[in-house]
Amino acid sequence: MLFIGETNLMSDVLTQLSEDMAAAVERAAASVVRVEGRRRMPATGIIHSADGIIVSANHVVERDDNVRIGLPDGTTASAQVVGRDPSTDLAVLRVNGSGLTPANWDLNKEARVGHLVLALGRPEATVQATLGVISALGEGWRTAMGGMIDHYVQTDVTMYPGFSGGPLLSASGYFVGLNSSALARGVSVTIPAVTIARVAGTLVQHGRVKQGYLGVSAQPVRLPSAVAQQLNQETGLMMLAVEDGSPAANGGLAMGDTLVAMDGHPVRMMDDLMSMLSGDRVGKSVPVTIVRGGATHEMSVTIGERS
Amino acid sequence: MSLLAQLNDALSDVIGGAQKSVVQIRDGRAGQGAGTIWHADGLIVTNAHVAHRSPLEVVLPDGRTISASVIARDDERDLAALAVEANGLPTIQPGDSRRLHAGQWVMAVGHPWGILNAVTGGIVIGVGKQMPDLRVFTQDWVVADLHLRPGNSGGPMIDTGGRLIGVNTLMTGPSVGAAVAVDVVKDFLKRAFNGASVRIETQNRPQWV
Repeated sequence: MLFIGETNLMSDVLTQLSEDMAAAVERAAASVVRVEGRRRMPATGIIHSADGIIVSANHVVERDDNVRIGLPDGTTASAQVVGRDPSTDLAVLRVNGSGLTPANWDLNKEARVGHLVLALGRPEATVQATLGVISALGEGWRTAMGGMIDHYVQTDVTMYPGFSGGPLLSASGYFVGLNSSALARGVSVTIPAVTIARVAGTLVQHGRVKQGYLGVSAQPVRLPSAVAQQLNQETGLMMLAVEDGSPAANGGLAMGDTLVAMDGHPVRMMDDLMSMLSGDRVGKSVPVTIVRGGATHEMSVTIGERS
Repeated sequence: MSLLAQLNDALSDVIGGAQKSVVQIRDGRAGQGAGTIWHADGLIVTNAHVAHRSPLEVVLPDGRTISASVIARDDERDLAALAVEANGLPTIQPGDSRRLHAGQWVMAVGHPWGILNAVTGGIVIGVGKQMPDLRVFTQDWVVADLHLRPGNSGGPMIDTGGRLIGVNTLMTGPSVGAAVAVDVVKDFLKRAFNGASVRIETQNRPQWV
């Protein structure tokens, strides 16, 4: 159909692949919007529900007012910022709309290492795309700001200017997640669909993501050998400062104490503590184990909420 | 045969065809550019920035080195047309850049860092004037996620049918390449041979025989 010559059969496979990719981009484009929320170049967002919920990367929505959305039909609508979670670099926006095409999220984790994937962006009127493969998949991880990302997805797609907030699209048309250039340096990391569903759900409901708060600054230290043997744990977190009137102070924690367990889980590194300070523990009294004067002590702390 | 093996065969087929019409362009100094044979009687298109110095020499796909003259050059669109005294040269089929869409597979052939007829592949990121990293230019571009390097300039960007869709011109990032869209090239050649554009310096018109 497209050209003549004896290489037809061979090239048909390639042309077919090429046309399939362009078709996948065109189909997915119905759920990809332009987000005008910063002074520099516009970025991208994903339609999350038919009635106008849009998810994007928090770092591209710099202002709270006068955020504009370029919809797939070419019209522009003003958007309200529903909520932000800087810890996962997600923002939820709302436009007045109905009958929008929501993203077909890959909630079943069908992506495998080696799969072809496309990154999409709509910094201008039309949707743009880059191609890559899934480079690595892994366990859940925490961002530098303590946000929980349910699993690790790394690709080699090129993040073209304005692609942040746009989807990673699988060959079968699923939205694997949302691409953000701000979460990790040097590699393209995707926030997976399950994390987006969870965080977007919370933001729509509460306008923010609850995070626990202790009011301490801490540093990992090596435990005395006797304690290490007793706990079967090499390190703990030493309190370098405890804020007056904070949940930690109210619970009896003092500067110089070394936190070794919380709510039944060992605390070895900062990451362990960050993961204990999840929103669901806010307001709950949890048992903690500390080392003070070479001996372990049990106490309990009521987790506060980070404002 | 697995789909991946079929794809590899298809890729080398298309590339093999396109490489036959890619030339090297030398100006006697360090570095070289690429060019694409547009007409069998010796018309070659390349970038203006590849054809800035003279005398120019062209190495044809069959290995012959012959001198070339610039018959038209447009620095603004970064295009040049060269003539060499040869005929029966293998040409490339021009495509249609207006029919390109984001996501389509494309390839570029050239001589990056002097590596002859090297290939890079990727997909169309976008087509047109509205590319965020090319706002200073006003013409149509084909931007793709492939790797252009010095020496790729002037060579062809092709689609899966082996047709010319652009002239590789610049990189806007380590893995983003931009080609002047083939429709701009067609317009450039039309104006060059009609003598319509004031911007184009036309000299040494070839004697078509």
